Amino acid sequence: MRRTIGALAACTVGVLFVAGCGGGPSKPAGQLSNNKIVLAVLNDQSGVYSALSGKNSVAAVNMAVEDFKAKYGANAITQNVEVITADHQNKPDVASTKATEMYDRNNADIILDVPTSSAALAVADIAKQKKKLYFNIGAASTDLTGVKCNKYTFHYAYDTWELAHSTGTTLTNSGAKSWYIIYPNYAFGQDMNKNFTEAIKAAGGAVVASDGTPFPNQTGDYSTQLLKASTLTPSPDTLGVMQAGADLVNVVKQYNEFKLKDKGIKLAVGLMFITDIHSLTPDALTGTTFTEPWYWNFDATNRAFADRFFAKTGARPTFANAANYSAALQYLEAVQAANTDDADTIVKQLEGKSVNDLFLRNGTIRAADHNVVHDAYLAQVKASSDVKEPWDYEKILNTIPAAQAFGPPSSACTM
Amino acid sequence: MTTQTDLKPARRPPVGPLLGRVARLPKAGQAGLLALGVGVAVWLPNGIYSGVAMDMLCWALFAVSVDLLLGYTGLLSFGHAAFWGTAAYSTALLAVHAHVVFPIAVLAGAGASAVLALPIGYLAVRRTGIYFAMVTLAFAQMVYYVANEWRSVTGGENGLQGVPRELFGLDLSDTYYLYYAALPIAAAGLFAAWRIVNSPFGRVLVSIRDNPARTRALGYSVRRYKITAFVLSAFLAGLGGGLFAIAHGFVSLDTVHWTTSGEAVIVVVLGGIGTLWGGVIGSVLLVWLEDRLSVAGFTLVGLITGSIFVVVVLAFRRGIWGTVRALFHRERDGRR
Amino acid sequence: MVDFIRFTVNGLVGGSFYALLALGLAVIFGMLRVVNFAHGAFYMLGAFGAYMFVNEFGLDFWLALAVVPVALGLVGIVIERAFVHRLTRLDPLYNFLLTFGLTLILQDVVKARYTVSSVTIPPPYPLAADANLGLFHFPAYRVFVFVFAVAVCAGVWWLLARTRIGMVVRASTERPELTRAFGIDVSRWVTPVFGFGIGLAALSGVLAAPTRAISPLMGADLIIVVFAVVVIGGLGSIFGSVLAGFAIGLIQAWGEAYAPAIVSQVLVFLVMAGVLLWRPSGLFGREEQMA
Repeated sequence: MRRTIGALAACTVGVLFVAGCGGGPSKPAGQLSNNKIVLAVLNDQSGVYSALSGKNSVAAVNMAVEDFKAKYGANAITQNVEVITADHQNKPDVASTKATEMYDRNNADIILDVPTSSAALAVADIAKQKKKLYFNIGAASTDLTGVKCNKYTFHYAYDTWELAHSTGTTLTNSGAKSWYIIYPNYAFGQDMNKNFTEAIKAAGGAVVASDGTPFPNQTGDYSTQLLKASTLTPSPDTLGVMQAGADLVNVVKQYNEFKLKDKGIKLAVGLMFITDIHSLTPDALTGTTFTEPWYWNFDATNRAFADRFFAKTGARPTFANAANYSAALQYLEAVQAANTDDADTIVKQLEGKSVNDLFLRNGTIRAADHNVVHDAYLAQVKASSDVKEPWDYEKILNTIPAAQAFGPPSSACTM
Repeated sequence: MTTQTDLKPARRPPVGPLLGRVARLPKAGQAGLLALGVGVAVWLPNGIYSGVAMDMLCWALFAVSVDLLLGYTGLLSFGHAAFWGTAAYSTALLAVHAHVVFPIAVLAGAGASAVLALPIGYLAVRRTGIYFAMVTLAFAQMVYYVANEWRSVTGGENGLQGVPRELFGLDLSDTYYLYYAALPIAAAGLFAAWRIVNSPFGRVLVSIRDNPARTRALGYSVRRYKITAFVLSAFLAGLGGGLFAIAHGFVSLDTVHWTTSGEAVIVVVLGGIGTLWGGVIGSVLLVWLEDRLSVAGFTLVGLITGSIFVVVVLAFRRGIWGTVRALFHRERDGRR
Repeated sequence: MVDFIRFTVNGLVGGSFYALLALGLAVIFGMLRVVNFAHGAFYMLGAFGAYMFVNEFGLDFWLALAVVPVALGLVGIVIERAFVHRLTRLDPLYNFLLTFGLTLILQDVVKARYTVSSVTIPPPYPLAADANLGLFHFPAYRVFVFVFAVAVCAGVWWLLARTRIGMVVRASTERPELTRAFGIDVSRWVTPVFGFGIGLAALSGVLAAPTRAISPLMGADLIIVVFAVVVIGGLGSIFGSVLAGFAIGLIQAWGEAYAPAIVSQVLVFLVMAGVLLWRPSGLFGREEQMA
């Protein structure tokens, strides 16, 4: 027994000594770390967001690399540009582990995408720890540019403030005066509830009640809340639904089943993707208004990209695909201009930059909180009779200028 | 009142005939294997990615804790993730908010799991066998829902992030060094399990597993022994969970999900129920396998682990280490 | 008051699924002493079966309701013969583990085909509208679910109480050795009863399909609640399990309507804890081996 304890003690001392002598690996000198640029796309490739972003976003990033090489030819800083990808299954722990591996094991210089707010926030921490770049595209949480903001994290496509103040404000202004909000009871849902309530009140409407639904939802049953909607006094004229993905599909189905539209309760969806319309079919959602960061059939530029994309993947690009393309290209351009992939230099290169490209219209990469603001659009779901070709589900009602679309930098962000 | 125990032969505990003897290898063999095991453990992060090596350490503790109950007390706990996860959250909270040195945080986390195990164990041991498994599963699910709702503490679906690696100012950011700093804790845990099993207390547990009525007749409080074993097992699982939290710098709801409980059972059955080291072998294999699958981009992990499990349960119940030991004993006394 | 009745009806509908699943679980347990973890997976397969019938083959939902449970029941029979049968002479824990492994496999197979996102089907033709229940309107299909579930439970009760096979099942549930001692070949009935239990799970799934999202993980969390339900009702008691199913459905609906979110989720487990303290073998269960 005593010998065992002695052995353990020696082991401990030895270990601590080794640990003390240890330190991080030294940074190799030279322009490009490992003489190549590694773009890592970390997203959901098998779950609820796989259709929205998934493998098609990897294709989009590959297109960006092609375009970069085509533009600079032999003058490109390097021809050695690698695109790696991993599936985080929408789980923050998997995302955290994968991000660490990508930065350490695969020498990734930048991580792109990462949908699902919890995973997104986890990766933000890793990026800060490893001091490497991270462009989040798929997640909505304002915490990425708020309390969790850091020097290496950029929030690219949309956030809950934008959704609330675009959809919420516009709808309230056009007659939705009393709301009943249901939201999934976790960070994203609560964020949405808070932001929507603010926006609705600011536009002169009122929120009669708001209820959180269990998340994850084991039964997929929203009947309690939907029944409540029709029994509230004063009776709401709009049901604000903040669920996303599979939960949204459920709620809309049951909304139709309970015939709330006939009872005078209109449907407003906080977060909707073109892939949701595709799953539910336009008929289930006809007339629903929502905020769209980017639509493939909006103008000629988008259409041209969409056609190229369609040739490669057989699908029309979602806003996430387009944003990944844009983010990858912006990063590569920054590396080319700065002549290095050192993270701190690139950050300085990007901060404050104005951008107008495929995805970012009137875009700015804000220095204060690293929120990438741009024009957004108010879209409406077409009736299936108006759909002229596959994926042509949306009618763009108007453009929301960048200054209005995104909120001011949060005071919670200190970099 | 006749219970089914006396009548139905199938009421045998879920271990092979050999293990009732607390089977052992010859002394020389034991010492040799121990040296081999220690050697591998010390070398490990030099051969594989240190993050994976850390996971192997943590899961080895988890597996051993489940085997302590399943193989030695005859209780299948299907909700042990409750303890793994509770310790992970507790350790993380101490590290994040109080900047406690990580070994102390891990021990405190394990302590929290032990405390949680008291009421759960007290209620669960009122049933046995399959009911016990279902009850532990149900309580673990309750812990999951509480963790999910208690957002202010656990971060809910977002999880607890930014868990630091504190050790008197030493830089442990490279997991390679964290592994060596954590190795003594893991070794102590495994050693404790071994001591528990090879002690009078452990013998009583085996006796309870094999024949509770007779044990009670001998004057032992079966219920109290079971609860004690349950709490000890929870503490061990907590050690693993705490280390896991520090290693990943992150705790999510996955640590309290029933699939994690299921995986722990799979690992023990694969390695060999009632062999203690079988759990270590099983967890090393499974962690390695899952890493290979994840690197290859294969996400249908359940298909692989489920299939392995089905095959093991159908045809290979002794598990890896159980089979190895059986081979030894067959040589010795010609008995199957 | 009307609201309360409305929530109660909702709770009975939710409880119908618990009751049907608990019924299948109790029936299988009664004959084989196997706690079928894969019950939730077959519920999920039933729902996907309905989806396939309606969306991919373009057939009628009512046809799915008739065919899918039978088809999956046959699959259950195959599984019993191939796998479960081999382990019945061992400790039932092994079969529990086996069915757990099967659950993982089945979930992933479906995930491979359909991904984790969910699909949906609409309520079937004559029941797509609202039913007028006097005091209020309620989706007709959901009312049908409740009525149908009660009918199935009543039908199974009749089978158990009035037929020979029912007698064998009840006798095997309560006194397996004694039943064998009477010369009744219990083992002949084991496989069909297992298939029947699986069929009940699949039936639940088909019924559930028009009311909620159909996804590969839909059975997983549900089955754990059903485990708690049968512990409360008493696994050896078929009547107890069914009653507990409806009761838990009611309690959960009331909890969700009148209390904060966490309450309805943990309520079933708290009730289970209470039952364990007060009547460990379940409200209607028999005294089985005690520690």
